[in-house]
Amino acid sequence: MPQQMPVSALQAQCECIIRSLGSDEKTVQRLAQMGILPGSHLRVIRVAPLGGTIEVMVGQGQSFALRQEEVAAMTCEPVAMPLVSELIIAGQNYRIRTLLGGGTFRRRMEKQGVKEGILVQVNKSGKKPLPVHLVDSGEDVELGEGEAKKLIVEVTAGDLDS
Amino acid sequence: MTLTPEPLTVALGAIPNSGKTTLFNRLTGADQSTGNWPGVSVEKKSGAFVLGEYTITLIDLPGAYALSPVTQEEQVVRDYFLQSPPDIVLNVVDARNLYRGLGLTLQLGLSGLPMVVCVNMIDEARRQGMVPDIKVLSQHLGVPVIGLSARTGEGIPELQEALYEVIKHPEKTRLPHISCPPLLEKAFVDLAGKISRAEIDTRLDHTFLAMRLLEEDSPHQWLQNNQVAAIAQQLRRHLEQTLKTSIPVACADCRFNAARGLALEAMHGQPVLEDRLSKALDRILLHRWFGLPIFFLLMLLLFQGVYGLGGPLQELLAFAFDQVGSWLAGSQPMTALPAWLQSFLLEGLWQGMAVVTSFFPLIALFFIFMSLIEDSGYMARAAFLMDRLMHHLGLDGKAFISILLGYGCNVPAVMGTRILTSNYSRVMTMLLIPFTLCTARLQIFVFLAAIFFSAAVAPWIIFLLYVFSFFAIIIMGLVLKLFHIGGRPEPFIMEMPPYRLPTVRSVGLRTWHELKDFLSRAATFIMAGVLLVWFLIHMPIDAQPASAATWAGQLGQALAPVFKPLGIGWQETVTLIFGFIAKEIVLGGLAVIYGGANLAAHMTGHISALQAISFMLFCLLYTPCVATIAAIWTESRSIKITAISLGSGLVFAWITSFIFYQTGLLFGFS
Repeated sequence: MPQQMPVSALQAQCECIIRSLGSDEKTVQRLAQMGILPGSHLRVIRVAPLGGTIEVMVGQGQSFALRQEEVAAMTCEPVAMPLVSELIIAGQNYRIRTLLGGGTFRRRMEKQGVKEGILVQVNKSGKKPLPVHLVDSGEDVELGEGEAKKLIVEVTAGDLDS
Repeated sequence: MTLTPEPLTVALGAIPNSGKTTLFNRLTGADQSTGNWPGVSVEKKSGAFVLGEYTITLIDLPGAYALSPVTQEEQVVRDYFLQSPPDIVLNVVDARNLYRGLGLTLQLGLSGLPMVVCVNMIDEARRQGMVPDIKVLSQHLGVPVIGLSARTGEGIPELQEALYEVIKHPEKTRLPHISCPPLLEKAFVDLAGKISRAEIDTRLDHTFLAMRLLEEDSPHQWLQNNQVAAIAQQLRRHLEQTLKTSIPVACADCRFNAARGLALEAMHGQPVLEDRLSKALDRILLHRWFGLPIFFLLMLLLFQGVYGLGGPLQELLAFAFDQVGSWLAGSQPMTALPAWLQSFLLEGLWQGMAVVTSFFPLIALFFIFMSLIEDSGYMARAAFLMDRLMHHLGLDGKAFISILLGYGCNVPAVMGTRILTSNYSRVMTMLLIPFTLCTARLQIFVFLAAIFFSAAVAPWIIFLLYVFSFFAIIIMGLVLKLFHIGGRPEPFIMEMPPYRLPTVRSVGLRTWHELKDFLSRAATFIMAGVLLVWFLIHMPIDAQPASAATWAGQLGQALAPVFKPLGIGWQETVTLIFGFIAKEIVLGGLAVIYGGANLAAHMTGHISALQAISFMLFCLLYTPCVATIAAIWTESRSIKITAISLGSGLVFAWITSFIFYQTGLLFGFS
């Protein structure tokens, strides 16, 4: 059973599939009319500087601002998140989806064998630097927190089904 | 060619941010009129143009996401379609994001009214390399679809041609198809059958009407036929229990499934691309640390742009009015008139005209800058940045900008509330703006602070008044929220549109219309207020103006017991009446009452510093000037809201001054 969580609890760069729009009738209807429906793909772009408000991208190319308080009852199933996240479960396989940094960052990562499409595992979260196990090559690398935050990983298909 | 006598009504309906207003301006040019939709603070715009032998009245409907209303704007649109369906519907979608717009398009298409769909911003879509297939859209929607750019005018002739064709042959359009869960589908068909059998007189498609009735809480409101309405209500309850979701949400689900498929097909499966420019700009403008400093810098520029440029222009106008006024006063025909008539013409009528005109530069600049901020897409970013601070009052960040601009002048700031998203924000914001320390009030405070306090203390008094004004807004906001004056706050779900370069044309037209509106709607109100004050100060005819014998003087004396606990004498009370014309006139009023020359010495001899501050606090909070009241009235079209604005100011001012003055006395000041 994949975990479900409120959209309001997602950190920036997390992606999820919306499962329920919540319970407040007005909010639900508003969301539905804007085309934000259960099953829609949602990505948190950023949290406002003062907090409390998030900018999300729904589907492709539609960007909305939402109040965390008002979407607390809106639940979703996370599908992608930064490698430093409370959502990462130790020992589980994740596939690297995107590298958020620029060219230099990308080259530095590639040198260590970290690139898009590979499977990784985090065995002990919360450690700095973060030990990351590269599943395919069997190698272990250590990544700084800032580096790991720029790696967006997705839940692998096998785990979604279970 | 002769024109057909009866104009045809074309209703322009679209979701927000699809360039609807630009298209409206493009089609009607300067031939527009503005008003309010009956009973609500929602702006109604209509315009006219000629198409072959037809005269077209184009109605610009408020932006709405669907016909099942959440906001007041959407209620207006729903009411309009159910009560007085237009001859033709003109719908606009954004070429860069079809999915977003097609939900409403499909709903409008089902109405059975002839429709033309505009795929707007086709030029920008082309630039991003994603041009929708217009033919596919037209085939699926069953109506003519035109790719155009309202900004550049590309495709407008084709649109006019298509409209003309639809007027000539409305029968050529057909309904789009949406598939819904069988249970819903069956309910629609059943109810539509009942509607047909009941022989309800409507131009709307019966299945569409069935959908509308099922989505409504109280279908009775829309149907003369109680029997059918009762069936609809029963059916709705039954369906909601079975489907475990509300009908509007279930219907939105069907619509957007169809919209998704249609958008994919029209784009030939090409994914929608993010706007790279917007992404890059947002990375800076919404940056965690730089976002807010940039916002405040832009606000400073905005404020300076409006009032820094507007102030000197206002002074120039005032100077011109003064010059012409004194020339008139000395002119031959004028001096021949009796003194009271001279005074009426110069201090009443001429003064009133001066007050009205003095707002022109501010309103023009205000709307030029506001249109720039709004049309560029930055307004939504500002709302996002400031939301956290404002949402305690149930407001969003846009209201912050309106209130901030009130610190320059309340009048354009109140007029600007119409850009706010919900009725709640509009009402709340227009009631809060009068508590800002505007530049007219500032003039009074600077003058009084200078004569009652030393040069070292005076700036602090002004500063504290600013701080107090800020707190007054918060306190008042919480009180108004508590009493649900503006209804209930709406959920904050705001689209962040891509950045766009505003056009000179749309900014110019907007400003021009605002000025025209101000002149036609608020000016008479302001004139009436100024003349009323003139009568109070000058009548009866033989009394010395503003003396104890005049109506104003009598009123001041009658009110003396009310103002005594505030330390405000009847003379100052009379000047508060002057302040109703415009706050800075309070100074002129003081000069008249204390006999002109050496006002400072007269004042300091007459009242204490404590009394002066009490008077300033009262001036800050009490009833706004007549122009602000006129603006609140024309924006809200509600006697209740206008009365609340008048009353809340007076009560709040009295309580504040009372507490201040009495506390001061307790602490041994006098």
